Amino acid sequence: MSEAKKVLVADDSEAVTTLLVTALEMAGYEVTIAKNGDDAYEMGKSGSYDLVLLDHLMPGLLGIEVIARWQADGYEIPVIMLSGVDDERTIVDSLDLGAVDFVRKPFRLPELMARIRQRLRD
Amino acid sequence: MNGTQIAFLAVGIVFVLDIVLLLGLITLKAVHRHRMESHDQRRSTYLGVLSRRMAFPLHTDFIDPKVVSDGAFLDAVIDLRNTMAGPEIETLAGIIDRYGLVKLQAARLRSRFPLGRRLRAAVALAEMGDESSAPVLIEFLDDREPEVRIQCARGLGRMHHTPAIDAIIERFGKESPWVRSRFADTLVGFGAGAVWSLLAYIRVNHDHDDDNEAVIEAIRILGIIGERDVGPAIIDLLDRFHDAELKIAAIDALGYIGGPMAVTPLVGFLEADDWRIRNKAAHSLGEIGDPMANEALRRSLEDGNWWVRRSSAAALAGMSEGLEILHEALHADDPFARDAAAEALADSGELGKARERRESGQASKRDLELLSFMTEDALVP
Repeated sequence: MSEAKKVLVADDSEAVTTLLVTALEMAGYEVTIAKNGDDAYEMGKSGSYDLVLLDHLMPGLLGIEVIARWQADGYEIPVIMLSGVDDERTIVDSLDLGAVDFVRKPFRLPELMARIRQRLRD
Repeated sequence: MNGTQIAFLAVGIVFVLDIVLLLGLITLKAVHRHRMESHDQRRSTYLGVLSRRMAFPLHTDFIDPKVVSDGAFLDAVIDLRNTMAGPEIETLAGIIDRYGLVKLQAARLRSRFPLGRRLRAAVALAEMGDESSAPVLIEFLDDREPEVRIQCARGLGRMHHTPAIDAIIERFGKESPWVRSRFADTLVGFGAGAVWSLLAYIRVNHDHDDDNEAVIEAIRILGIIGERDVGPAIIDLLDRFHDAELKIAAIDALGYIGGPMAVTPLVGFLEADDWRIRNKAAHSLGEIGDPMANEALRRSLEDGNWWVRRSSAAALAGMSEGLEILHEALHADDPFARDAAAEALADSGELGKARERRESGQASKRDLELLSFMTEDALVP
């Protein structure tokens, strides 16, 4: 039996983390939560996550800053950005910095889950 | 008792009372903190239960019907409602319906409760964004409390309930400026769906009384929405408006709405008697940026009013070939036209670029003319 894929959910909204953790665990993934950007940055470095769902606007480091720091430190972590901010600049900057996808909040759960499955298959 | 003993007794009583008061405050704070923690814990529990329903609609976690009166359950529902989009919200709508959340908040809104409690009910209905609450929200658009009316309009806007647009606009026309501005935010949120109702409101009300503030606000909303289909209707209305403020608002809206059909009428308003109308027309032509207006704006550089000259020059500075016209205007016979052109060239960054090119020895004839003009006249630093 293969080991469960590990997903880090970084978001300061309890509703978002609860919903995503519930859906991901039901789908068989192993999930960890970070409540702010600083924790997400540290956890991303220490844990071997197969995917990170990263909110853009969080206390501490912004999502985009977390990706930039991981990249500067040499960590290649697949990230799906989640954000209520949908200005083109944020989307382009996130993808340029290495995020594999960008999902606007509020999100459609089945669509987000499909994107997560696709990334974890790659 | 002598005087000293009485003084000691008084100090002792005050001291004891202070201690009692302090202990009371500490207890109240502790109780409040405990209630908040308990509320947050219950909310987290409800979020978990509701999330399982969202992620797996056939999930059969039991939800006690009594939770409907628990504010923590309502908060969890609202939090999830704001997290999700798409058809999955129907699952949440089913829970809202089954547990009578809308009915309960509607009853609270109808009650004789103090404003704070009624307002929380209105906010809850607005945040839940459930279609079944639309009739209640429409009903309370006429509530005696402005904050409640604002929340009702906001809720209808959040659920994009277009049948409510006419009711919102009717109420919008009766509101004070502050409440009206909040209604305006809601109407802007409806976007193109609101424009024809707004136009109908403007048509009916534009010359009915001396106070045209609401009509002006309605025109402003049309500009912000920017739906190009309403351009011809606004142009048509411009001919009917007698009030200069209405004309200015409509000309401003045309600038935001844009499109070539607005250029000819706006060019016509560059000849208006009222300088404010000429000024706004120049500004809107600049917003549209159609070079068809170049020649008319060139003529307006010689307008008798400083603001009109300034707006015309600024409009030209943002247009293709407009900079060329401004450089040519530095040689105009009219000294006011020359000044307006020079200011616009300085504001648009042309002066700075000319200086840089001169410093690097690459200044063109045009650059030198501009630099010379600025030095000679010294009107603009």
